[in-house]
Amino acid sequence: MDTHPAHMFDAGVRSYSDTYWRPGYTPADTDILTAFRVTPQAGVPIEEAAAAVAAESSTGTWTQVWTDHLVDIGRYQAKAYRIEPVPGEPDQAIAYIAYPIDLFEEGSISNVMSSIVGNVFGFKAIRALRLEDMRIPPAYMKTFQGPPNGIQIERDRLNKYGRPLLGCTIKPKLGLSARNYGRAVYESLSGGLDFTKDDENINSQPFMRWRDRYGFVMEAVLKAESETGERKGHYLNVTAPTVEQTFERAERARELGSPIIMHDYLTAGFAMHQSLSHWCRANGMLLHVHRAMHAVMDRQKHHGIHFRVLAKWLRMAGGDHLHVGTVVGKLEGDRESTLGVVDLLRLDHIPADPTRGLYFDQTWVSLPAVMPVASGGIHVHHMPDLVDMFGDDSVLQFGGGTLGHPWGASAGATANRVALEACVKARNEGRSLAAEGARILIEAAVHSPALAIAMETWRDVRFEHDTVDTLDVTHAV
Amino acid sequence: MPSETFSYLPALSAADVRAQVQHLTEAGLIAGIEYAIDPSPRDSYWKLWKLPFVARPSADAVLAEIDQCAAANPAAEIKLVGYDSVRQGQVVSFVVRHAG
Repeated sequence: MDTHPAHMFDAGVRSYSDTYWRPGYTPADTDILTAFRVTPQAGVPIEEAAAAVAAESSTGTWTQVWTDHLVDIGRYQAKAYRIEPVPGEPDQAIAYIAYPIDLFEEGSISNVMSSIVGNVFGFKAIRALRLEDMRIPPAYMKTFQGPPNGIQIERDRLNKYGRPLLGCTIKPKLGLSARNYGRAVYESLSGGLDFTKDDENINSQPFMRWRDRYGFVMEAVLKAESETGERKGHYLNVTAPTVEQTFERAERARELGSPIIMHDYLTAGFAMHQSLSHWCRANGMLLHVHRAMHAVMDRQKHHGIHFRVLAKWLRMAGGDHLHVGTVVGKLEGDRESTLGVVDLLRLDHIPADPTRGLYFDQTWVSLPAVMPVASGGIHVHHMPDLVDMFGDDSVLQFGGGTLGHPWGASAGATANRVALEACVKARNEGRSLAAEGARILIEAAVHSPALAIAMETWRDVRFEHDTVDTLDVTHAV
Repeated sequence: MPSETFSYLPALSAADVRAQVQHLTEAGLIAGIEYAIDPSPRDSYWKLWKLPFVARPSADAVLAEIDQCAAANPAAEIKLVGYDSVRQGQVVSFVVRHAG
């Protein structure tokens, strides 16, 4: 008997676009939508490249397989449904792809990533690929807990209203002993800051083990609280080599009375991060989130994942603070694009807006909001711009801009606090921070020698370099 | 001792307070007045002066209430609070009068 007839199914290779390019498809309300910037290899038609992305990130593989016939492929396949040119970039296009919700496990960023930013990024037919944006439908969004606390709970717990919060990363980043480190925390907080922060690369090194740091830092926090009459906190970084060690550190921070801990979500990974976020919800702990490694993925315009997607994933996975860049400081960040991310973190419904790089409407169906954190190379002269751009629901962090004050960290903290409050007061009085910022600071410095010296110290410090990851001039939506 | 927002600036003048109340009312917030004698920084609840002004009276009326509260409680600190009914929480809070 011949058990190997020539054609038991339609074996062979078909072009992806036969199945996965579905122009005019109307996405379902439950579909997850993506916008990819696709740069095909020379000679590969854009429709074929877009269809290949849809196929390789959903049900397809390079050849037909007999087991396809046991599945209702139409129910599970992703569909490339629209292609738009990119102004000024003839070799690129934006491909819109719709994914049925059943492709993804509930509440799993790891699963979303393995599917949508998995193999497809190494696919040979594509020279470069960038995930620009993603629309998460309410049905899938509601399978995530989201931020453990949210902005309003944080304000109510910390008793801080009507102004941005002020923080400072303790410097030098590495090498301080635990007791000396606690000293810098105490000086900064007693001078008027709300928070101090572990640098992201402070974990538990030979020069300062975590348990020693936690002890001295919390003594400093509680002393500054009792002396100032204001509630304070230090982001104790719990990022650790293993899951078990991470939770051990989080538990210790809670025992010591810390209101907040810190975690690096990309280097530690989403599964770890979501577990910690759930622990924070259960324990009433605020969660400050750092984004080390993000620029590896998000900085190059043609390839990778835009930060707005990494930020959406963080709000889903959970975090109460997230670093977003400063626009004006030492780190990369286009202004409108950054403000688009800020909206995604803070609002409940954000309409598509090409001028801010937002490709889709996004609804958060009451997941709590995330406080954006502006940190990196900022000083008092930036304060009016920062308050103007980021508004009240933000954390402004001055590391060098606090500890670098000629009179020390306490005076540096006071200078920043005075500048901040002067800007908020003037804004509420109807004055324009953009137009009158410098004058507002000069007026405030009349009553604050600490601010006057800070303004003198950083008078000429600017970070003016071209942004690498710019928005396209226009793109149709 | 500092007392959160605006406490690192020189004491607010009557005109300063008026401008902030004006801003609060124009922003559509509901003003409220709280007072306390020697409050602890951990106190979330000071005594409420009357009720939050849900009828959204004019800034002048709110300022008059602050004066009444001060006259009735000369030893108290007084703070102005702004409630946002959409956000369902306080969004403004600062001390308008320190204990006299």
